[in-house]
Amino acid sequence: MTRLQHAVLGLAALATAALVAIVTAPPPAQARTIVDSAGRSVEVPDTVTRVFAAGPPASILVYALKPDALLGWPRAIRGEERPYIAPAYRDLPETGRLTGRGGEANLERVLALKPDLIIDFGSVRDTYVDLANRVQEQTGIPYILVNGRFEETADSLRLVGQALGVAERGEMLARDVEVTFAELDAILADVPQESRPRVYLARGPDGLETGMKGSINTEIIERAGGRNVAEAPGQYGLVRASPEQVILANPDTIITWDRNFHRAVWSDPLWAGIEAVQRKRVYLSPTAPFGWIDRPPSLNRMMGLKWLAGLFYPQRWQGELREEARAFYRLWYHVDLSKGELDGLLEWASGRAP
Amino acid sequence: MRIEARNLDTGYSGHPVGHGLSILAESGSVLCLLGPNGSGKTTLFKTLLGLIPARGGEVLIGDARLQALPRAEVARRVAYVPQAHAAPFAYSAEEIVLMGRTARLGLLSQPGERDREAALAALSRLGIADLAPADYTRLSGGQRQLVLIARALAQETPTLVMDEPTASLDFGNQAIVLREIAALAKSGLTIILSTHDPDHAFAIGTRVALLHEGNILCTGSPEKALTADALSTVYGVPVQVERAPSGRITCLPDFGDRT
Amino acid sequence: MGERARTLTRDGFRRGAGRGTIGLLVAAVALLSMGALLVGPFPLGPFEAIGRLLDAIAGRDAAGDAATTVLVSIRLPRIAGALLVGAALAAAGACYQTLFRNPLVSPDILGVSAGAGLGAVLGIFLSLPVAAIQFMGFAGGLGAVALVGFVAAAIRHGDRTLILVLAGVVVGALTGAATSLLKVLADPYDQLPAITFWLLGSLAGVKGEDIWPAAPVVLAGLVPLVLLRWRINVLSLGDEEARALGIEAARLRLAVVVCATLVTASVVAIAGVVGWVGLVIPHIARMLVGPGFGRLLPVAALLGAAYLLVVDTLARTISSVEVPLGILTAVVGAPFFLWLLARGRRAWA
Repeated sequence: MTRLQHAVLGLAALATAALVAIVTAPPPAQARTIVDSAGRSVEVPDTVTRVFAAGPPASILVYALKPDALLGWPRAIRGEERPYIAPAYRDLPETGRLTGRGGEANLERVLALKPDLIIDFGSVRDTYVDLANRVQEQTGIPYILVNGRFEETADSLRLVGQALGVAERGEMLARDVEVTFAELDAILADVPQESRPRVYLARGPDGLETGMKGSINTEIIERAGGRNVAEAPGQYGLVRASPEQVILANPDTIITWDRNFHRAVWSDPLWAGIEAVQRKRVYLSPTAPFGWIDRPPSLNRMMGLKWLAGLFYPQRWQGELREEARAFYRLWYHVDLSKGELDGLLEWASGRAP
Repeated sequence: MRIEARNLDTGYSGHPVGHGLSILAESGSVLCLLGPNGSGKTTLFKTLLGLIPARGGEVLIGDARLQALPRAEVARRVAYVPQAHAAPFAYSAEEIVLMGRTARLGLLSQPGERDREAALAALSRLGIADLAPADYTRLSGGQRQLVLIARALAQETPTLVMDEPTASLDFGNQAIVLREIAALAKSGLTIILSTHDPDHAFAIGTRVALLHEGNILCTGSPEKALTADALSTVYGVPVQVERAPSGRITCLPDFGDRT
Repeated sequence: MGERARTLTRDGFRRGAGRGTIGLLVAAVALLSMGALLVGPFPLGPFEAIGRLLDAIAGRDAAGDAATTVLVSIRLPRIAGALLVGAALAAAGACYQTLFRNPLVSPDILGVSAGAGLGAVLGIFLSLPVAAIQFMGFAGGLGAVALVGFVAAAIRHGDRTLILVLAGVVVGALTGAATSLLKVLADPYDQLPAITFWLLGSLAGVKGEDIWPAAPVVLAGLVPLVLLRWRINVLSLGDEEARALGIEAARLRLAVVVCATLVTASVVAIAGVVGWVGLVIPHIARMLVGPGFGRLLPVAALLGAAYLLVVDTLARTISSVEVPLGILTAVVGAPFFLWLLARGRRAWA
């Protein structure tokens, strides 16, 4: 036999062996079936100890529920964000995103981390369903999709709490969310639409990017009892606005997390005539460890919700921001903030970023 | 104004073409360069004009060394007629001719009325004044060649270097151009041209230089230099040189026995 | 015969036509600007608008008054920006097309847009303020072209123009890759949208303070081009012929590239990457007044200004949100370009 024939035979044998291995591979020893937010039935091992978060929203979800299971952050925790994450988890490796544009996370690297479960938190549209199915087929790792809509937060917490085997903690956090939502609903019940604040979300260094009403980036505005001025039927997502449109909309409240914009807006003639600027109601959101109002759109928004409720309805909202922040960071982020850290956060929320 | 090349080596880096070329063209004369394709005529012309650097030897234009002259001064002394080409944009023939005036304009000036008159005069002299507004890109090859000659005339230089000025012309236009070249020489200009047709050299050449594989095989008056032997050697085909009854000398390649 | 030739020449030279065209275009640009001042989402009647404008000019500026702000701080700078960017891109396009003897060349050929893109994206990536992002864009554009120049100068043989173009392609591809890398590394919630919007081009945020630094640079680039207009014509015959006609081709080309790059980089810095204007507008200009650079340059600049003003006015009015400029110029420009191609050879004239 020639060398080539040897090689071909060898390969064939190898392929057969692999095929046999695949076909006869034993199913996971113990498994439960979880129905995820997209209605997919996924076999999940009984004990889940290693979770790969497909994107930043999922990483926060996993961190809040079961930080020990988190294999890494899609984006490493950097600089000023670090004090606000519990020390044990600050230095988890950077794993990249599996969803979103391009999907930077290498499947081999995902496998090398040996996750029991992959979780994606966000859109449950067909593209993401398909992506989840493909990754699950290719890697053999169960992949669950969790609805990232703000209104679904409590359900999502219960679902993932179950999947991770921390149902009680999931239930507790879900209750916390429901309580906050209920308090808000109670104070908003007798506030007619017309008298709610008209809010503009300013993104980008010139503040002219915004999210249309109905997009996941701006849900928090309506949830906190505001009205998003960027509204047009049939248009969603991030868009660029012209200054004229902003003047026309004349929001009485502007929220942003862009420090450059927040610094520049006060002396900028374009913005000078806008009600929010004249009434000094341009608010800078802290972004440590995660943004308060978005960035990413995940559980972190619960903190922003309390903050915005206080800003929108100072008379009606009972919470005291300092106490709320301390409690929230302890409950959700596993950190007991020192006085200095808490001061820094509150100064940031009042416009003086670190 | 005379043009002289002394012991000139031509070519490009890594690709020498001509070796030890010495030629001389005097005022009021026509120097014809003959040689087959690839013998280095165009390279020699580009070197004479300073468009590619000489690899050895030197070029004298009038009493000055070529290298010592600024570009604009060279263009005021020597005009170049390239082989007819396509322009990328649809300039009018007059605009093309006007470009011949560039060396006579200041760095930031535009051609004025006087330049326009010179351009028109040059076109008229070649009998193509009616082409002035025509789109240069739509002219025939022969018309383009005439426009390029007109441009060289508009340059008002004492010397002309013409790269195969008759190559793309029809029979009648060839005669017009040759007659014009002879007249220009008579008026005192120095003309160097290359041609593929020995007859043209016999007709208007004061002197000829025969190029062969990068060397000058022989120079002199057409009658002396263009012998049947020399032409046969250079072009690699048997050639006869005959005097017609009119007294003109013509050159006849041997096509073989037709009987 | 002589007389006939003379009259023909006059007509053929299209001098009168050129002047008339320029006059018409100036009037059209002025009219369009006034029209653009009056349209926009903010409701403002023509008389009120003119009254406000006169008030503002007379210094009776009602501070903080929304209508005056819209007119003076938003629409005026934006119109000025559209005119400046359109004129600059079309003029630079005319320049590069003449210089590279190729009607398919756009101002991006030497990588100025790619470089400006990289600079600005880096600025966004580093979370710099807007002015710094613009400066980084400007510097990036100049840097990319300088790099192209050095690379081309280091290669000592071959056709200079071709080498310059190839070096431009290579540097453009490299800077494009670097931009993509920054997009991957950028914060997906914060910087990525800003980067995407910047690369699509927009005049939405243009202010007076953006125009004032850019305008003198554009002017400083355009003036030498206007002064050298005759010689730039001659350069379009190719290096050898231009030199035989008495032009220091290499030096002139360097001057033209530097000027056109200054012009392009300064407007790309304020408007982002706006394609097609520099490619299509010089074509139309050449169809109107012929290839003579002395007429081509002003006509292309005026046409470019008018075109971008119209497109930008559409961009800010046709939808309740901004349509990125790069999208609109492509939607209008690409079919037109195809039509030019289909018309055949004459279109290159």
